[in-house]
Amino acid sequence: MDHNLTLLRLASSLAAHASARQTLVTENIAHADTPGYRARDLPDFAETLADGPGFTAQITRRGHIDLDAGARGFEAEEVAAFGAETPNGNSVSLEDQMIRGADIRQNHDLALGVYRKTMDILRASLGRQR
Amino acid sequence: MNEITRTMATAASGMAAQAARLRLSSENIANADTPGYRRKLVSFEETMAGDARAVATGPVRLDEAELARVHDPNHPLAGADGYYDSSNVNMMVEIADAREANRSYEANLRMFEQARQMAGSLLDLLRR
Repeated sequence: MDHNLTLLRLASSLAAHASARQTLVTENIAHADTPGYRARDLPDFAETLADGPGFTAQITRRGHIDLDAGARGFEAEEVAAFGAETPNGNSVSLEDQMIRGADIRQNHDLALGVYRKTMDILRASLGRQR
Repeated sequence: MNEITRTMATAASGMAAQAARLRLSSENIANADTPGYRRKLVSFEETMAGDARAVATGPVRLDEAELARVHDPNHPLAGADGYYDSSNVNMMVEIADAREANRSYEANLRMFEQARQMAGSLLDLLRR
């Protein structure tokens, strides 16, 4: 039982991580032509999981991707694709960001899929028809 | 969910900014042969839309480059030497700019669509 709830928590953390990344990638794309803008992204979910004190619900707090906020679950870092830097100081590569977008989509689908299956298993163990 | 609405606001601001840029580009192309016309430029800036980090267009500036001197003694504006000042619009630059705006607009639209779909599949969890 407890194991299953951990799984649910893990799945919802992954979904939160994916949507936080989605926000950052969308910001990057919106600023694809803004002079001096640096592309940002979150570290890998596996990395966050290994570093952090487990997966907590705190990460969905508002402002957790704000660069100025103090303590938070996820920390955005600058990422730049090789050769993406333009003379006006912008480091966004649309291609790189689209690939990140596809990756995010996949992770989000995975998280929701796991969540749904876990719920199904819980329901099955309760002996109810789904 | 709040995250996703913010994402959509950011993508929408990106689309609005690129559309403004595309409009200026077509104004420039339309006025390529207007005597004395200076090319309009706009730069993008970071801004906030509610609590979403968004993009906005800065003030519209005029290109200070030399106006093209065209030799046409029959032109009503031509001086004694037969030259008049045309616009400083470079068609090639404008077309390239419009292409880039179009490409960025599309990327923003993709992200908007993806955020929408992610929100949809999240809400689908409640379906049963």
